[in-house]
Amino acid sequence: MRSRKRLSKAEEESETPERLSTSVPELEPGAPTDLELMAGIQAEDPEALSKLYDRYNGIIKALILRVIHNEAEADDLLQEIFMEIWNQAKNFSAQKGKPLGWMVTLARRRAIDGLRKKQAYARAEERLQQETEQQPDAWVHNATEEEIAIGDTRVLIRRVISVLPPAQQQAIELAFFRGMSQREIAANTNTPLGTVKTRLELGLKKIYDGLKELRDEL
Amino acid sequence: MNFEQFQNQARLFVIGALDEEEVSEFEKARRKFGQKAEDFITKCYSLSEAFALSLKPAKASDQIKARLMEMVRDRKKA
Repeated sequence: MRSRKRLSKAEEESETPERLSTSVPELEPGAPTDLELMAGIQAEDPEALSKLYDRYNGIIKALILRVIHNEAEADDLLQEIFMEIWNQAKNFSAQKGKPLGWMVTLARRRAIDGLRKKQAYARAEERLQQETEQQPDAWVHNATEEEIAIGDTRVLIRRVISVLPPAQQQAIELAFFRGMSQREIAANTNTPLGTVKTRLELGLKKIYDGLKELRDEL
Repeated sequence: MNFEQFQNQARLFVIGALDEEEVSEFEKARRKFGQKAEDFITKCYSLSEAFALSLKPAKASDQIKARLMEMVRDRKKA
């Protein structure tokens, strides 16, 4: 895994997604890899879970927060999700992907379930609607100058995402972070179902292609 | 469904955006394309990782980890 690199403004501006390399949270020399930590968890070593938590709790909590928009509920869910990682580790297989992808899939599903169970869906929908009206380009609205100046994974991925038309970004946002089906997206945005399908297919293909060069590091 | 169509559906599948009736068609195609399909689906999970990594990490309450580790140790003892 490569170490994180700070880019100068000129370098930052000249980089393109196709040639960028990146890193998921930087590892200290000699630190166990994600796969080693997963093997440790599978062997019921609490220290392995502790290290995996330290490495990824910020990313997983951000994902949960993006879904449920509630700090206290996000903390509770974070704890439940890492407990589930501990309990379900035996189902993880390195042949089917990387630990982070497995954790994100699990966390996203739990967050969306949590959102629906707590019947906060309608309220969150209202907030989402307000956010969407105020800032259609919601995916990138949190980016600050400081963040943009740092050549980290988040900025690189956002750059790939940000080239999409806002309607494609919105469709993907609703599918991934709100757990909406294509029909629900169509109803929610007053858009024909066929248009939603096209937006999702085109948007995801563009992101997938843009991430190709980053994939080994992700 | 040809493989290009399968690829489009696979990207939707990994982010949970396929409608129910599409999932059964997708699973049929998945069996038809076999290992090639599985390999592509595995690659598609990088989309999920990327969406999570596109967010600014959020700080969790310090008590969460302590509670988690206590639960894990209790579970181990049981």
